[in-house]
Amino acid sequence: MEDQKLTDWIDKWLRNELTESERLQFESLRRSDPVLDQKTREQQQLATAMQRYGQRVDFRKRLNRIHAELDMDAMRAEVQQRASQQEASVKPLSGRVRSLWQTYRPILAVAASVAIFTTFGTLMMVRQYQSSHKQEQQYSLLRRDLQAIKRSQSVILQDINFRQRALQLNPGQVAGSGFLLSPDGYLVTNTHIIQDADSVYIQSTKGDIYKAKVVYADHGYDLAILQVRDDSAFRAKSALPYGFEAGPSDLGERVFTLGFPRDEVVYGEGYLSSKTGYRGDSTAYQVAISVNPGNSGGPLLDEKGNVIGIISGKQTSTDDATFAVKTNYLFRAISAIPTDSLKGSPLRMSRKSVLAKLPRKEQIKKIQENVYLVKVFKHEK
Amino acid sequence: MHLSDDQLLAGLADGSDAILTELYRRYFPVVLHLVTSNSGTEDDAKDIYQEALIVLYEKVTEGSLELHCQLKTYLYSVGRRLWLKQLSLRNRNSPMQSGIDLVDTDSPVSVDEELTEQEVRDRQFELMADSLDRLGEPCRTLLEDFYIRHLSMQAITDKFGYTNADNAKTQKYKCLMRLKRLFFSVYKEEF
Repeated sequence: MEDQKLTDWIDKWLRNELTESERLQFESLRRSDPVLDQKTREQQQLATAMQRYGQRVDFRKRLNRIHAELDMDAMRAEVQQRASQQEASVKPLSGRVRSLWQTYRPILAVAASVAIFTTFGTLMMVRQYQSSHKQEQQYSLLRRDLQAIKRSQSVILQDINFRQRALQLNPGQVAGSGFLLSPDGYLVTNTHIIQDADSVYIQSTKGDIYKAKVVYADHGYDLAILQVRDDSAFRAKSALPYGFEAGPSDLGERVFTLGFPRDEVVYGEGYLSSKTGYRGDSTAYQVAISVNPGNSGGPLLDEKGNVIGIISGKQTSTDDATFAVKTNYLFRAISAIPTDSLKGSPLRMSRKSVLAKLPRKEQIKKIQENVYLVKVFKHEK
Repeated sequence: MHLSDDQLLAGLADGSDAILTELYRRYFPVVLHLVTSNSGTEDDAKDIYQEALIVLYEKVTEGSLELHCQLKTYLYSVGRRLWLKQLSLRNRNSPMQSGIDLVDTDSPVSVDEELTEQEVRDRQFELMADSLDRLGEPCRTLLEDFYIRHLSMQAITDKFGYTNADNAKTQKYKCLMRLKRLFFSVYKEEF
């Protein structure tokens, strides 16, 4: 009730409805009472806001009324007149430039965007090309260019037999390593070794040569599956000594490989130095192991004699940075082989190694029988 | 009749309909020309021109108008800014046109201060409109009658059919308290 009386007082004060003595009384009370002062100010704000609201609503109504009675034709005529006056005052040339600009602005915008796009696109492509080029330089495929080697050898060896001379004359030979996936003659090697091949031969450590056929080549993982086919000389083995380990191996794992950087099988050992390959490639391991051209396609085995990867390349700028495709991706490549490519003889692999407890020398003896030199013959381009 | 800018402004402050009509028709072509030259319709021009006149009117009634240029230039400049704002709001959905260039049909002056002040006034207006809407009837009309139309309490008592003026006062008090809550709940946070 008290509050309502105060509100009433404030209203009267705002509307100047108080007598002079009442007004003075109110104002002195307001000065001494901060609560009343605050109330007064709020009510004044509210009243002012309402008045402004009313004023604008009222003004809008008046404007609309005026607009409704407006002679729009006269207005349009005045606009026309203004426009023509302006055209006369603006120099004709600049007027034309402006109108051209107005007309062709969207087209110019598109053209400019295309130009910008092309410029940056080209720059990016050049950069990409440069970096991929660099990668090629840094990542050397470990195939052996037999011709080059033969040529260098021919300088040293004066006495060459006829067969060697024949090989020498056959251009574009490439060699790498490969190893058996199953006892009945399936092998794995790298795609970069067998690409563009006219014919592929495998040579055992004992020197026996068999003709092989490319069953499947996966460029993504750089894995190729070979099969010794139609070669009666090849005798299927009962079982392979090593198993295949698809699970991840740990850093520091002692590993070894067998391969053919020369015509003779060469053993190398090292350790797993990274779980990813070149430039973070998650399909490969990085291995600190000394390899040479020709080692490509060789098996990478752990201490227990399980194949954990396939040697595929190395980084030229760094010593002992060799890369091996993980066995897991070998399985993926195998499962991607169309069944009719296998001609009814399924690829059976064992996961069990019988080498686990053998000393390394015995392990090597058993493994090397299953590692082959892969020789590729190509037409000269 | 030909009136000077000063006479027009004085008439605007007095609330003269005749002078407002004269002012309206004299400068509408300026804004009409601008808006229709910049992808606007005649209706757009009408809205923009009326908003510009509201800016002028509210400055005049507040007594805060300081005109340093012709009235025509002032209205053109305010209308130009308002139309730019409107265009940028419309173009928000089509980001292809980010920078808006107006073809000037006149030379504008800077009216930044006007526009900033007007935004505050616009916000207050919206807030009051919203508060009154939510207040509902009969409170809204009662308060408008008292605070905007300045009717006496006796006139309000008669109009609304209250038995006596004290009843009307109680009603007005209750309505005002509700409006106060509605208005200040937002107003205090923002201003």
